[in-house]
Amino acid sequence: MKPLIKGLALNYPVKVFATGFVVLTLLSISLFWFRYICQMSLSVKMPGDAKDIRIEPSGLVPPELENDPNVVSHSRVFASMQPEEKGPLSLGIFDYFITRFPGGRRSPGGHRSNVYFFESDRDCMYFDKKSGQIVHLYTKKQTMLDITTSLKMIQLYVGPEGVSETQDKTLGRFIGPIIDHGWLERRWIDLREGGLSELILYDKKLRCFFKIDFNQRTVVKGPKLGKNDRRHEPIQIGLLDKTAFELSYLNWTPPRIRIPDEDPNKTGYSTAKLKPIIPTDYDCDAGPYLLVLDETGRIDLLDKETLEFVKRTPEFPGVAGRLPGPETYFGPKDSVTPRELLDYKVWPLALTTCFFENPEEVRVTFGDPSYFFKRAPARVERKYLGMFAASLSRDGTALALAVFDEKGKRIKESNTRLTKYEGGHTTQVQSSKAFFFGAPWSPTLTIGKYLTENLHPPILSVASYFTASAFEAASGHRALFFLPNSFIAIKAGDRGENIAERFMSALCWILPSIILAIWLACRVSKDAVVVGLSENARAYWIIGTLAFGLTAYITYRLTRPKITLVTCPNCGKMRRPDMVKCHRCKSDWHVPELIPPVWRVLKGTEKVHEGSTADAEEAVVE
Amino acid sequence: MYALIKREIQDHIVYFIGAAAFSAVFIIISISLIHRYNPKEPPVFSIGLGVPAVTIVIFGICAMGATQMYLDRTRKISALLSTLAVSRSRILLARIITGILAILILLVPQTIAAGILVRVFTPHIPMFPGMVFEISVVVFLMAFACYCIGLQTGWNSSALTPSLGALFLTCIFIPLILIKGFGVHIVVILVLFIVASLLRTWHTFMTTSL
Repeated sequence: MKPLIKGLALNYPVKVFATGFVVLTLLSISLFWFRYICQMSLSVKMPGDAKDIRIEPSGLVPPELENDPNVVSHSRVFASMQPEEKGPLSLGIFDYFITRFPGGRRSPGGHRSNVYFFESDRDCMYFDKKSGQIVHLYTKKQTMLDITTSLKMIQLYVGPEGVSETQDKTLGRFIGPIIDHGWLERRWIDLREGGLSELILYDKKLRCFFKIDFNQRTVVKGPKLGKNDRRHEPIQIGLLDKTAFELSYLNWTPPRIRIPDEDPNKTGYSTAKLKPIIPTDYDCDAGPYLLVLDETGRIDLLDKETLEFVKRTPEFPGVAGRLPGPETYFGPKDSVTPRELLDYKVWPLALTTCFFENPEEVRVTFGDPSYFFKRAPARVERKYLGMFAASLSRDGTALALAVFDEKGKRIKESNTRLTKYEGGHTTQVQSSKAFFFGAPWSPTLTIGKYLTENLHPPILSVASYFTASAFEAASGHRALFFLPNSFIAIKAGDRGENIAERFMSALCWILPSIILAIWLACRVSKDAVVVGLSENARAYWIIGTLAFGLTAYITYRLTRPKITLVTCPNCGKMRRPDMVKCHRCKSDWHVPELIPPVWRVLKGTEKVHEGSTADAEEAVVE
Repeated sequence: MYALIKREIQDHIVYFIGAAAFSAVFIIISISLIHRYNPKEPPVFSIGLGVPAVTIVIFGICAMGATQMYLDRTRKISALLSTLAVSRSRILLARIITGILAILILLVPQTIAAGILVRVFTPHIPMFPGMVFEISVVVFLMAFACYCIGLQTGWNSSALTPSLGALFLTCIFIPLILIKGFGVHIVVILVLFIVASLLRTWHTFMTTSL
């Protein structure tokens, strides 16, 4: 250990790098809070009109229902964003706890399984990594012989090979299971009805879908996706929703008809109530299919019976749709991946036709019919109508909403916009622009955010430009060193220009940073000459300051040699006393030659030789 | 080395007593909080109480580092010890070990208590896998990083600079937990920060004239 320590003690570059990292960390944390305050203030001030999108009629309801003469309010789909909510949620400490609490994160990010549900000790579900099995505890109502009811607690272990009441190796092992969180939301109704519906599960590692029947205690295994089949990489199934928190909101309303109020004396809207034209279940249900979100942002349809993806046919392209790309500050993006979105929500729509024993009795509902009819229908036909998909941009400033029909064709699309009324005519401004400039004081806050970004090291800003898409959208909000939500990084997503043009215009966004770095590099260069750093050291410092800007300058000030300078007798400038030559004029030290005096102090009378005084005087003159 | 560590502990015994006292207080708070435990609700109250308390403790740890270096600088302790058969590197090493000991006295009992409480009181399902361990590691690293800040700012002959400097830099640094949480990212940043801070302290300490 000793030689290392001795070596380090003498190693000036080590001290510089160590100090540089300390400075970079402390400066980055300070700048983070400045950016955070600006961003939060902008979110709070964002005009309300720029947060919502509405599409009416929704486009998925069959014409006979949509155009029914009794309809007073057409079907509509409504999406909204709450950018002010993302502030606290984007902080890492909240994200840490949210991801660890049951139901906190629906989209399985990283290594964590989303098989995680907890109501009580008697009503929960989790994935036991040790055994590789899913443990499910629930309470079932059972009728006794004397017609009284009692609650029975059931604990089941589920593996790829079956379901059992005891943990058994023969059940096999799941490795990376993900489940439909919509099933978790529906299960309390299922339990009330007396049994649980089938749960569909996908194992990322086994690359296979499974159907679990808790009532029959069976597991059906679907066909295995090929290992080389890179076309399918499912990351979420069923309820497609990135977070349980309302960063964005998606809602669908069916066509509604008027029901006259009992009190005819009331006027206005209160004289009538509106109700859906047919019974409507507001749970997200794709009828005979299950939505499967791929890591590319594509949404596939899985047949619930066969556990196979719906095949491509001349009528159906094989894809239910894809997550729409929101319009960012620098324009729209054609395709986005779930990682690039702060939030997304998908709402499938299905039409159910129930045939009862009486052939004339046919009832049509939206969604699952089991909630509406006490009698079980003789036959049920379920038809998938299409889906609505909403995406919130990485920086949380724009929301896109798209409607896909049953063939996966995008039939309607809209983006959040602010409508401005100026001089008798209206103009539409995209919401990300309204976010930065649409409210009073917003331009000031935007400039504050921009200038703070420009205090960041230029090299890290450029690195942010190249790495922006590699960061998960939510984690980008708590980034310290690389800034995926900075203006230069957002510019990287602009597809309107070619690569060179885009990079050059991105550099313009950090022009103040570059100018600051050049100015600081000049100051460092001048000071390095004064303190007598070598040519090489000076060059390294200039390069370092150009790359790291303010961070490098503070590091330089903290690590520059602290030596008291003296005046050089040759050039008159300040020079270092610890160097043989003056670092300004390269002259040696002019040390007068020490000549011993010729006189001596003797015990007796002092004797002075002739000429000795003259010798001494000459020596002084030299 | 043992004699040096013993000497450092004796010189800064107040910090060790404080660490033990705070540890006991935290354990009592944890036990009282566990009774309010509700698995469906995030422990907002615990976080609200815990963050300021941890902040106070971390300021104390930072102050310990600053005091150690400040007293050495002003009273020339290492200069005196260097006249004996002791190298400066050993003096600094003993000082850092003492700091780690103080932090461990504070955190280890709490971690053990938290582990037992979670095991006893929470449901027998893997509710919070690895949470106690992850949080303990991050709090330890954060405390040690703040101690390192104290070591850096304390090497000053003025009394005001170490106090205000350490306070200011700690105020900037502690919110890193808010930004990054208790995951892997913060561990990496803290480890790098600690290594950089120790290198800087080492270099400054070894190259300063007696």
